[in-house]
Amino acid sequence: MLARLLRRIFLIDLLKGLFVTLRYTPRPAFTFQYPAERRPVAPRFRGVLRLQVEPETGAQTCIVCDQCAKACPDELINLGGHREPGRKIKVLDYFDFNLSRCSFCGLCSEVCPTKPVKALIMSEDYELGTYNRNSQVLRVDEMYDGLPIQQYNR
Amino acid sequence: MGLIDHRFSDNFITTNLDQVLNWARQSSLWPMGFGLACCAIEMIATSTSRYDIARFGAEVFRASPRQADLMIVAGTVTKKMAPVLRRLYDQMPEPKWVISMGSCSNAGGPFPTYSVLQGVDKIVPVDVYVSGCPPRPEALLYGLMRLQDKIRKENTVLRRERVIMAGQTEPIMVEDRG
Repeated sequence: MLARLLRRIFLIDLLKGLFVTLRYTPRPAFTFQYPAERRPVAPRFRGVLRLQVEPETGAQTCIVCDQCAKACPDELINLGGHREPGRKIKVLDYFDFNLSRCSFCGLCSEVCPTKPVKALIMSEDYELGTYNRNSQVLRVDEMYDGLPIQQYNR
Repeated sequence: MGLIDHRFSDNFITTNLDQVLNWARQSSLWPMGFGLACCAIEMIATSTSRYDIARFGAEVFRASPRQADLMIVAGTVTKKMAPVLRRLYDQMPEPKWVISMGSCSNAGGPFPTYSVLQGVDKIVPVDVYVSGCPPRPEALLYGLMRLQDKIRKENTVLRRERVIMAGQTEPIMVEDRG
């Protein structure tokens, strides 16, 4: 009884709680300031699809084999090309990728057979905010360069 | 601000009402979390201290549509849920925006079936589509900043219309005389 009264008078429980607060106060802030700093993604992170070119020459690596379009469970990829005399691989004409339904499963880039540079990869871009549904269908130039990312510096 | 800018001493700030309204609106977006599936977990993670959506003034996740002005539709919208979603959207007070978060609410996602609504924009007007399955918390923050960009360009007092004149290709802004 007396112990309880003394606890009340000397505000022991309040001080206990404040001590927890005080213990956390000198630590650096846990918040990660997103638009200013960008956290590195995991090594096997799957972002939006990206077509790659040969790093030295900038030549096309996609051989228009249509395997990614067949592997996609939602049939989001449409691509086509034509043969040109004197060139070994087909020339990529169009590559339409409908981002809006994509569930980022990575089956399309897994089946991509080109070596040593994989033509279709899951990039590290995840900043995908668009104002309408038409701009969610990525054309071939967006597949090479990625969707433009607005830079915010607040 | 034109004529009256820099005409007064330094403790006056001149602005126009639209800019003040847009500034107030974009920096206190109160979202109504409409968590329907796994995207809701990422939306909750966005409001935790690690990502801290409060830095953008949007931390007050309201349970009532009457106090919210941003609806974050996070997850698969089934056709059973669709009338409820539309009703809650109608109950929100007027300056109101919608973020569609994730592939399911953008276009139905991997469920092209009879029971799933193929895109939440079939029932409510969507301002920003955030792609991802689910989007990272950073992606949702990016979508929120895109929405703030959009709000900053709105006209409330001085209404203008984008009109394409005959023989022209580019739209121009014309003041509404209505």
